[in-house]
Formats: sequence, C-alpha cells, structure tokens
Amino acid sequence: MIATKGLSVRFRGEALIAYRDLTFERESCALLGASGCGKTTLLNAIAGILTPSSGEVLIDGRNMAAASQREKDDFRIRSIGFIYQDFKLLEDMTVEDNLRVLELERVDVSQMDAVLEELGILPLKRRRVRKLSGGEKQRVAIARALVKRPDVILADEPTGNLNYEIGARIVETLISVSLGRTLIAVTHDDRLAKLFDRVLDMNEIARSEVDSDA
Amino acid sequence: MLRFALKHMATKRGKLALTAMSIVLSASVALLALNVSAQVRGGIVRTAGYYDMIVGPPGSATQLAMNTMFFTDAPLGTISYEVVERLEADPRVQEVVPFAMGDSFNGARIIGTAPKLLDGKELREGGMFEETFEAVVGSAVASRYGLNIGDEIVTSHGLAEHGAEHAANPLKVVGILKTTHTAYDNAVFTGVETTWAVHGHEEEGEEHGRAEGEVCAVLVRTKGFNDYFQLMADYGADASLLAINPATVLREVLENVDLSARIVYILSAIILVMNIFVVAVVAMLGLYDARREIALMRLIGVRMRTIARLYLLENALVGLLAAVLSLIGSRLCIRVLSGFASSMGIVLNAGTIYPAEWLILAGVLALGVLPTAALSRRMARRDGLE
Repeated sequence: MIATKGLSVRFRGEALIAYRDLTFERESCALLGASGCGKTTLLNAIAGILTPSSGEVLIDGRNMAAASQREKDDFRIRSIGFIYQDFKLLEDMTVEDNLRVLELERVDVSQMDAVLEELGILPLKRRRVRKLSGGEKQRVAIARALVKRPDVILADEPTGNLNYEIGARIVETLISVSLGRTLIAVTHDDRLAKLFDRVLDMNEIARSEVDSDA
Repeated sequence: MLRFALKHMATKRGKLALTAMSIVLSASVALLALNVSAQVRGGIVRTAGYYDMIVGPPGSATQLAMNTMFFTDAPLGTISYEVVERLEADPRVQEVVPFAMGDSFNGARIIGTAPKLLDGKELREGGMFEETFEAVVGSAVASRYGLNIGDEIVTSHGLAEHGAEHAANPLKVVGILKTTHTAYDNAVFTGVETTWAVHGHEEEGEEHGRAEGEVCAVLVRTKGFNDYFQLMADYGADASLLAINPATVLREVLENVDLSARIVYILSAIILVMNIFVVAVVAMLGLYDARREIALMRLIGVRMRTIARLYLLENALVGLLAAVLSLIGSRLCIRVLSGFASSMGIVLNAGTIYPAEWLILAGVLALGVLPTAALSRRMARRDGLE
C-alpha cells in the first residue's frame, strides 16, 4: 500500500505543491487534472526522484521520503515500474538491451519474452528503438516497467501523443497486466480516466503555492 | 555488465574507433622506436664482437668498420696481401681473414675472402668455395636471380649496378647460404684470389684493391688482451695502415644512433602526452554527451556507482584493445623494417618485447581508464537526479 501524509514538494525550485493525504491500494488509479497541477510531481515524489519538502511517502508503512539515496534507488529499480511520458529509452540500443539495462542492478528480466509477447512487440526485440514508431516505443517503455514484475506501476501520460483509439488500447493493456498491483497513471483525458478503477481529480487534491522563501 | 558494455560501445563505435586509433598510432611509434633502437644496438654489438682488430688502408675508421662488418660504403683503398701473411705468421694472432671488395653482381657486393668468414653460417645447398672462380651466394641474391648450384654469374666492375662486365671470367655458384637476415644475404663470397684472377693483370693498380696481391682489409682475432694491445700498438704506429677495434668504432656509431633514438623517444613521448590530453578530452566530452543516458539510467533506478563502473569498463576495454593493436602494429612495422635492417647485418626479431614496452602498454591501458576513472569518481558522488 502507498500512502502520503502532509506531503508537499517544491516544483522546479519555485512553487510548493501541497497534497491532501492519499492512499493507494492494489488498484488502478488515474490522476486527472490540468497541466501543472502537480500530477507528475506526485509520481516523482512516490518514486523517490524528488525529495519532498515536508511530509511522508509511506510504502507498506515505511517512509521512503526519509530513506537514503541507495534505498530509494533500490526501491525504484526493484519495486517500481515507471513509464515516462517521453519513454526515457536508450534510443541507439535494441528493445532487448533497453530491458537488459536493468540487469546492471541484477534485476531478473527472465520474463522478457513473455512480457514483449503480451504487449505484441516480441518481433521487435532486436530492433533499435530509434527505428520504432511512437506507439511501439510506448510499449517498450511499458515492457521495461513490467518485466521486473513490480509492486507499483507509475505511468506518466502513458498514451502521450497517441490518438484515443490507440491510447485506449494501451491503457487497457496496462490495466490488464497490472492486475493485483498498484497502478497510478497520469492523464488529462477524461475518457481514458474512466477505464481505471478510481479517478482522482488532482485539481482538488494538490494546491500550488508560490513560496516566498524559494 | 560486460555484455551490456559491449553492446553499449557498439552504439558509439565510430567515436571509440577514432579514439582507439589515435592511441594506437602514438603508442605504436613509441614501441617501434624503443624496440628497434634496442635491437639495432644489440645487433651491432653482436656483429662487431667477434673480430677485435681490423687492419686497412688509412682513412675513416667508421668507413672501414662499416665496410668490413656490414659490407656498406666503399672500401678505403687497398693494402698489400703481405699484411695478411705477416699477421698469419704472428704468434699473437688466432685468426686472420682477408677482405676484398670491388666488384658486384647486379648490385650485390662480391666479397673476396677466405671460407673462415662464413664460419657459423649454414649452407642451404652445395658447398664452400675452394677453387678460383667458385662462389657462395647469399640467399637473397640466389632467390632474387633464381640462382642454382652450377650456375655462372658475370660480375661487374665496381659497386654500381651497371659497371663494365667481366664476361670472360664468370663465377660458378657452388654454394647458397641459408637466410641469415644479415648483410650476408645480399652478398656473393669467393676466394680473395678470385677477385685478383677476375681482373688479371690488366687492371693492376686500380683504386678498388683488385690488383693481384692486394686486399681492402684484414679481419683479425687475437689470442688475448695483451696480444691485442701489442698488435694495435704495432699496426697503429704504421702510417701506411689503419688499425681499428670494430667494437670501439661501432660504439661511437651507436652513440649517434642513441642520440637519434633519444630524439625519437622524446618525440614519441610528446605524441603520447598529447594523446593523453586528446583521450582525456574525448573521454570527458563523451561523458558529458552521455548525460542524457546517465540521467535516464538514474531515473529507472540504476545507481550512479554502477553507471560509473559501466563507463569505466568501456574505457578499459578501449584501452585494452588499443594496447593489443599497438603491440600488433609495432610488430608488423618491425617485420617490415627487418628487411631494411638486414642490409646492415642486423636481425630484427618481431617477437622480442622489452620490459619498457610492457610499461608503455600499461600506460596505454591507463590512458584509457584514468580520465574516466577520475570523472567516474566525481559522478559517483552525485545522485544524478538533479
């Protein structure tokens, strides 16, 4: 279970975003809201990429906000599958290499073929990422997040610039492969948000303040 | 990590190949300079070691030594064969070998001497020259002109390739030397009497010592130290002769060679140091270019220390590859150069590796690793997520 308590995060060193306390069970949850309302910042705080200015991020009761960098790295690579909006893939390497990069930290990627198969990109395994379409890259990013069978999947605009039909297919795939896990996905498409178990309106949950001390 | 590093390196193979090539070129020059100068020095010392005195006409000591040891340069002139006989009769002398040079066969020097000069050299075919007009040819001469036992060769007057031919007095090939990778491969050996007989009496008194009863020099091996000093004093006092110790003369030559070698060392060192900077800059730029990749790996949770180790391993592999290629490159150059050096009577062995060369190779490896190691240390201290 993931919970936040009294969480506030400074956004780009200027505004301070304060969040209402949140809890995420083993479910799929969409964070819906306008641009700049703090959706991505919340994901980054949960993943340990951004250090909160105050408050706690509790993962199964353990406050990761206060953990060491090494513990956060460990948590991120083993327990979290993060799907970035801009994919964050090694463009000059193959699909396979982009999953095997996890092996640098001894993460088990033996399920690679099964995951690629499930996402329909197994034939692209040896193809260089640079040569893939946007939709194919998105699937590679999802595969990298899922191959380690994480407890938590964080997805930042996983459908990005894709049209609704393709986006819906990707979201449905993501939800189906995330069953029994915690999936938190950022989106600003109401129609896609309805596909999730729960929708949180971030405009009500996050409050942005211009911090005079920043 | 190795497998991933190799794949990662493949994505930037062009840049890495240029870096490696730059190291290989400078390291090969350094290895070549070191190896060849050491082998040339050793070769000259070995060649000069056997005879401790050479007697010839007055003139340049270096020319006399180079002419008799390596068959290079022209002879200084001639001395009477009586000098040979006098030395043979001298109880202080262990071995005397007459030496005459003046004619050539297609540019290959004809050496008029005694079979003793070829002691220690093996024959590939045939036997030693015994009668007048018999000759033993070096392996390179034999293969270049397709000579076999029983063939006759027409010598030319003088050392140039197109001198007047002694067609009336050809030499008969009775033996072919095995390849020695020395000056002996490019020469033809015959009895000193043959060199006189080829010309007969009509050219008596000519400048190149072909007149009957004259030789260009005498190679002498004395019985001991005292004998050597006495003989050097005796023959040194004779103004019509020049007596030299070939080792002493060649040591002076070596000093000049050493000076050249030192200059090459310094140049190699400068090139190597320049390359250290080039490689360091390339490595640093490479890492700065890689910032996007580093940030990406950090975001998915790869630790900074792991990323630093990955880049370190990649650069170590480049260094290792460069070291191996430098060694192979320098050995190939040595093989090519051995063709030139053999005309000086020096064998360059591509398999010889001196300890200093291992040091250079270790330096090349360090060159690949150290700049990245320093950067990696800095990288590892940051979380890379800012």
